[in-house]
Amino acid sequence: MIGLDVGSTTAKKVSIEDGEIKYKITGTHNWKDLVTGIGGNEIISTGYFRNSVPHRASVTEITAAIYGVRHYFPDADVIVDIGGQDTKIIDVKKNNFTINDKCSAGTGAFLEFVANYFKIELKEMGSFHSRAKRIPAINNTCGVFALSEMISQLVAGYTREEVIAGMHYAFARRISFMIPEAQKLVLIGGTVKNKGMLSALENILQKEVLVPDEPQIVNALGALKYYC
Amino acid sequence: MKSIQNYKLTVNNWCLVQKKIAITALVPPELIFACRGEPFDVNNIIPGSKKYPRNKLCAWTAIWQEMLSKREIDIDFLIVVAGGDCHNALVDGQKVAMSGIPTHFFFYPFDGDPDYLESQLYKLSDFLGNVGSPEKPGQIRELKKLGQKIDKKRADGKISAGDAFRIMISFSDLMGDLDKFKKVISSTEERKIDMGNRVALIGVPPIFHDFHDVAQALGLAVVFDELPFEFIRHSGNDIPGIARDYCNYTFARPLDFRIKFLQEELEKRKVDGVIHYTQFACHHMLEDEIMRLKLDYPMLTIQGDLPGNTPEQIKLRLEAFRELLERS
Ligand code: SF4
Repeated sequence: MIGLDVGSTTAKKVSIEDGEIKYKITGTHNWKDLVTGIGGNEIISTGYFRNSVPHRASVTEITAAIYGVRHYFPDADVIVDIGGQDTKIIDVKKNNFTINDKCSAGTGAFLEFVANYFKIELKEMGSFHSRAKRIPAINNTCGVFALSEMISQLVAGYTREEVIAGMHYAFARRISFMIPEAQKLVLIGGTVKNKGMLSALENILQKEVLVPDEPQIVNALGALKYYC
Repeated sequence: MKSIQNYKLTVNNWCLVQKKIAITALVPPELIFACRGEPFDVNNIIPGSKKYPRNKLCAWTAIWQEMLSKREIDIDFLIVVAGGDCHNALVDGQKVAMSGIPTHFFFYPFDGDPDYLESQLYKLSDFLGNVGSPEKPGQIRELKKLGQKIDKKRADGKISAGDAFRIMISFSDLMGDLDKFKKVISSTEERKIDMGNRVALIGVPPIFHDFHDVAQALGLAVVFDELPFEFIRHSGNDIPGIARDYCNYTFARPLDFRIKFLQEELEKRKVDGVIHYTQFACHHMLEDEIMRLKLDYPMLTIQGDLPGNTPEQIKLRLEAFRELLERS
């Protein structure tokens, strides 16, 4: 049996072999490569395309995240899943969730745009951030305004590193408004590999934020755990 | 627009031979029919509309404003429910008035004062040409009893939530024709409904035309529709009677009044969870945190913007909500 998470940008497969978690990640449109030789009857699907791929059972990303995070942090009380197109906040203790997919300011797409603007890789953003000496204030309410402000701050003399750090803070502040009180806050999704964003969020929330080793595969694992 | 020749003058009032009266929200249909008007709820056409309104906050008001101003809906008069309801409607209603459609602004009392509502109803009756068919409110009362039966049957799993909703929401204007509406009600098919999780739908009605059916298919049976329930709940045989009953129209009253009513109703209907529908750029969104605080049920808040099918993002939330209810 495998857990298959086909999301808006990537597809992930997880299986548990002899108690060990095995996984594979590819682009959304190559999801078939992950399941060669595996029948629909052996697939528990989740993610945006959960109902478009063959499956024995399907489960939403919200439930999958709860089961997946539980594997790493059994007493997590709030989960924040920052995806490419949306951000989901799951209050595990209160059994409640909210999804932001209206405003790009709180989704992975926002940081992707910043990386594109500077013609750098997303994964480089963290090291740029770490070299910043100052952090410019950037409007945090609207993605579009934040991006034009980013350019103004460059004009005002801030370095690329500093503006990137400023954008991480703008992003993190936006996310922080959506997060309820939590003892144990866990972040998942591809975006949380960005250390700059993570440190901005920890600074704003004034608390440690937990991240599983492989934050991207949590939902695929969760789908599997939900069923098995 | 009908020309002035279409109206005939009675002793001291304009009495309309045939008049189609558009309403923007709940205006006691008892009075409109009694004044020989044919009510038409402009919201009827919104969920099926493919319009992308130009100057928009809430799509409900923006679409009817545009269509009325451009005469794409054939009506004679407009009644805008302004006080105690919607400020977007108040502004968009004035735009329609400026385009030349005779428009009346109707105000509900925030404090529920029946004397105030009575005076509003008299003004409305003047605007409509006064009561000419005093038997209509009694007939409407009988129809509303049928509506209440429909509501009960769907809560008992004998009528689908979608069918019940379509009937109940139509009580704002009773399709402009009591006989026709009665036939539609009696043709409602009874069948055994797999109830799954029982949910209440609060807030303004969703702008998606298939919402109830989609929710049902995803395992969420809507057993309470807040606003449509108001449409079948109030009646009255004459202006003072209508005023006494409609002054408790919960949407126009303070939140604690509305919440107390909701608490009782949700308890009666044994709901497992609550879906709070909100509309983009609608002030009712501000009520969400209070609803969450005061209503002790798992709650899902969703927001719609433009009309059409229930979007995938909303379906994901509904599906996740069902999973959540099944976990709790
Ligand atoms: S949804 Fe809100 S803003 Fe729109 S018409 Fe209704 S009350 Fe007014």
